[in-house]
Amino acid sequence: MKRNALALSFVLALIALPAAAATVGQAAPDFTASDLQGKAVRLADFRGKFVVLEWTNPECPYVRRHYNSGNMPSLQKEVAAKDVVWLAINSTSQASGEFKTPAEMSKWLADKGAAPRATVLDQDGKIGRLYQARTTPHMYVIDPQGRLVYAGAIDDQRWASTEETKAARNYVRAALGEAMSGKPISVATTSPYGCSVKY
Amino acid sequence: MQPIESMPRLALLAALALSGAALAAPVRTPHVEAELAAERTTIVPGEPLTVALRLKMIPGWHTYWRNPGDAGEPTRIEWRLPAGFEASEIYWPYPQRIPVGPLAAYGYEGDVMLLSRLTPPSDLPVSRAVTLSAHARWLVCKEQCIPEDAELELTLPTASDGAEDPRWAKPIATARAALPAPPAAFAGWAIGARGEPGGATLMLRPPAGVPLEGVAFFPFEQGKIEPAAAQPFAWADGAFRLKLSAAAQPVGEFTRLAGVLVSPRGFGPSTTARAVTIDVPIEGQVTPALPAPVAAPAAANLGLALALALAFAGGLILNLMPCVLPVLSVKVLGFAGQRAADARTRRRHGLVYAAGVIASFWLLAGVLLAARALGGELGWGFQLQSPVAVAVLALFFLALALNLSGVFEVGTFLPDRAARWRSANPALDWFGSGVLAVLVASPCTAPFMGAALGYAIGEAGWRAFAVFTALGVGMALPYALLAWFPAWLERLPRPGRWMIRLKQLLALPLYGTVGWLAWVLGEQAGARAVASLAAALALLAVAAWLAGAFTAPARRGLVAALAALAIAVAIPGSDTAAPGPRGAPAWEPFSAAQVAALAGEGKPVFVDFTAAWCLTCQVNKHLVLANDEVVQAFRARGVALVRADWTLRDDEITRALAALGRSGVPTYVLYRPGRAPVLLPEVLTRDRVLAALDG
Repeated sequence: MKRNALALSFVLALIALPAAAATVGQAAPDFTASDLQGKAVRLADFRGKFVVLEWTNPECPYVRRHYNSGNMPSLQKEVAAKDVVWLAINSTSQASGEFKTPAEMSKWLADKGAAPRATVLDQDGKIGRLYQARTTPHMYVIDPQGRLVYAGAIDDQRWASTEETKAARNYVRAALGEAMSGKPISVATTSPYGCSVKY
Repeated sequence: MQPIESMPRLALLAALALSGAALAAPVRTPHVEAELAAERTTIVPGEPLTVALRLKMIPGWHTYWRNPGDAGEPTRIEWRLPAGFEASEIYWPYPQRIPVGPLAAYGYEGDVMLLSRLTPPSDLPVSRAVTLSAHARWLVCKEQCIPEDAELELTLPTASDGAEDPRWAKPIATARAALPAPPAAFAGWAIGARGEPGGATLMLRPPAGVPLEGVAFFPFEQGKIEPAAAQPFAWADGAFRLKLSAAAQPVGEFTRLAGVLVSPRGFGPSTTARAVTIDVPIEGQVTPALPAPVAAPAAANLGLALALALAFAGGLILNLMPCVLPVLSVKVLGFAGQRAADARTRRRHGLVYAAGVIASFWLLAGVLLAARALGGELGWGFQLQSPVAVAVLALFFLALALNLSGVFEVGTFLPDRAARWRSANPALDWFGSGVLAVLVASPCTAPFMGAALGYAIGEAGWRAFAVFTALGVGMALPYALLAWFPAWLERLPRPGRWMIRLKQLLALPLYGTVGWLAWVLGEQAGARAVASLAAALALLAVAAWLAGAFTAPARRGLVAALAALAIAVAIPGSDTAAPGPRGAPAWEPFSAAQVAALAGEGKPVFVDFTAAWCLTCQVNKHLVLANDEVVQAFRARGVALVRADWTLRDDEITRALAALGRSGVPTYVLYRPGRAPVLLPEVLTRDRVLAALDG
C-alpha cells in the first residue's frame, strides 16, 4: 500500500511538471532552461532566496534606456549584494530580426556592466508565455517560499529619458525592500511598459 | 512665443497673412511624418481652435492609443503656447486592435490625426501672427519599436474672424467623426455589465432592434481585460452580449467597464458615431479565472506516450476494481471447465474477448467525441448519466447474478434455432463478454485513467482513439494472457462442487451492485423511479425462475413476455429526472462563481467532483472524505467544501473538469490562497488528503 502510494505520487509529480500561469499571490510556476554557457538553470533551485525575473531584449529602446543609463546594471548589483537571485530572460524568437545568440547576448551584457546571476535564452517563448510576459522590460519578484509577489513595470517612468529614469520610483527595489523587512508589498501589480516581447 | 525678428521670416509672414494660409513645416523621422494642422486659417481671440497632430506612419508601422494595450506607449504632446493660451488633452480617435504575436496593441496604422482644442485669450491682439509650438513624442513599432520625437511649430495670423482651412478642415472633420461619442449617444439603450469568473459580459439592448455586429470594446486602462483575447459578440436572451476576458495579471480593481465601444457599421439611426464612450458599473464580481491547477496543463501537455502508458496502466487496474472483478472471475473459472478445449480455441477465445473490449471502448470514444464535436458537453461516465441506462444496467446485473446463483441457465430458454446458432458461433459469446466487461466497468474509474482520458478528450482524432485503445488493451490483457498460457490451469483443483459454490459466492457482489444502482437511480430520478425499478426487478426474478424451473418450450413465451414487461416497467419510471437535494450539509453545491468567490476570500477550497454512479467516488467519499480525521483536518483549516455532483448531465461541471484537464469523476482539487492548486489522485487515501492539506 505504502509503495503504491509512493509510486502514485511519483507519477503525479511527473505529471505536475509544467505548471499554471503566473499570478501574483500564487506559486510562481517553475521552469528549467539553459543559461548562456549551456548550464541548466532551475527556478525551484533558488527556493529560500528572493528571485527577480527580468524580461529583456537588447534591441528594445526601453531596455537600452535602462541599461545605457546604468539603471538596470546597478540594481542588479545592488540586489546581488543582498543575496537576491536575478535571472534575465530573453524570449525573442529566433525568427525575429532582434534575436541574439548566446555569444552576442554575453557580449552585450558585458559591455553594459550587467550582473544578472544568469541569463536565459527562451527563444521558443515557453517561459515567457508561462509568465505571460508582455513587454521588455517586464519584471517579476518571487519570495523565498516560491510565491510570486510582484509583477509589472520596472518603475513609474514610462517615458524614455535618462533624467526621468533617475527620478523614477523603482517598483522592484521597493517590493524587495518591503518584502525583506517583512512588510506587505504596497504595489504588487502594475502595468508593464516597453516594447512587446518578440515571441 | 518669441518675437519674430528675422526679416525673411517677417516677409514670409506678411505673405502668409495676405494669402490666409498657415505656416507649418512637417518633420520627417525615419518612420513618421509629423506636423501640426489647424482647422481654420486664423486664430480668433477667445475662440477655441482645433489643432491636429498629424502622424503619417510608413506602411506596417503603428503608433499607440491612450491605452496602448499589451505594450507600447501613448503619443504625448507638450504644448508651448503664448501666454494666456489653454490646451486641452488629446481627443483620441477610436483605435484598432493590432495583433503582435500572441499579444495585441491598441493603436493606429497609416495616418492619424490627434486633435487638441487650443483656446486663445480673448484679449489677444488682432493682426499679429502667433506661433504654436509643441514637442511631440511617440513610440512607433512594427517588429521593432523606435521612440521618436519632433519639435513642431504652426504659425497662424490672428484676426477677428477666419475661414476653414482648405487643406485641413476636411481631414480634421473626418478625424472628429472618428472620436467616440459621449455616453449620451446611448440614450434609450439598456446597457449593463455583469462580472463572472474570468471576466465580464457587457449587455446591450438597442431601442428598436438595431442590428449590430463585430462590436469591440477598448478599455481606457491597462490591466483590466486581456487585449489579445477574442471578444465573442452575440445576441442571447434579449440582449447583445460582448464577452470580455479579465486580464491574466490584473492591475487595480475591475469594477467598471470604462472605455470605448466600437461598431464598424455604427450603432443604428440614433447616432452617426461608430464609437461611443461608456462607463458602466459591473454588477457582481469579476473574479480571476480559476487558476489552473498544477497538474492540469499537464493533462493537456501530457504527451501521447505518457497518456498511452497511463491509459494502459489504468486498464490493467480496472480488472481489479469491484465492478469488474466478479464478472471476470466467473469468466476465468470458465477456463477450468474448458480444460479439454484445444489451445487454439482458447487463444482465439482470448483474442476475441480482447477485440470485444477494445471495440466497446472505440464505440464509447466515438460517441463521446462525436457528441463533443457537435457541441455536447460530455465526459467519461456519460453513459451512466441517463437514469434509463442505470435502470437497464440494474436489470442486467440482476439477471447476471441470478444466472451465477444457478436460478437459470442462459441456454435453456433460447429458441432452439438461436441456441444452435449460438453454439455454432462461440466467438459471438466471447466478443459479447468483452462488451459486457466494459459495460460493467463504467461505474469504476481506475487510478491513472483520469489524466489519460482528460488528454484523450482534449485531443480529437486518432490520438484520442489511441488512448482508448491503450485502455482497452490494458483491460483485456490479463484475461487474454490467461487464455494464451494455460499452464496455470494445472494448479487449480479439479472442477467440481467448489466451482459451483464459488460462482454462487461471486453472485453476491452483483446483488449488492443491483442495490447500489437502485440507489443511484433514486438520486437521479427520485423514489418513484426506484419503486418502478423494484417492481421490474421482481418481474425479472420471476421470469428467471420460470426459465430455470420450466424448460419446456411452451414457457419461453411467458419468460420473454415477463422480461419485456420488466424493462417496460422500469423505463418510464426512470425517465423523469427529479433530483432532490443531495450531499451532506457541510458541502456546498458547485458553481464556478462560488468556488472563485470562496477562493477570493482567501479560504482554502476543496472540490469533490463526484457522481452517484461512480463507485470509486462513493468509496472515496465514505472511507476518506467522511473519515473523522479528514473531517477534523478540513474544519481545523477552515477549508470550504464544495461538491460538484455530476450524477446527471451538468455542462458547467463538465467545463470545470475540462479546465482541470479531466473528463470524468472522481476528480479532487484543493485550492489554497497563494499556492498552486493541487489535483489529488482518483483513489484517495486519508494520508494523501492530510498530506495535501499540510503540503
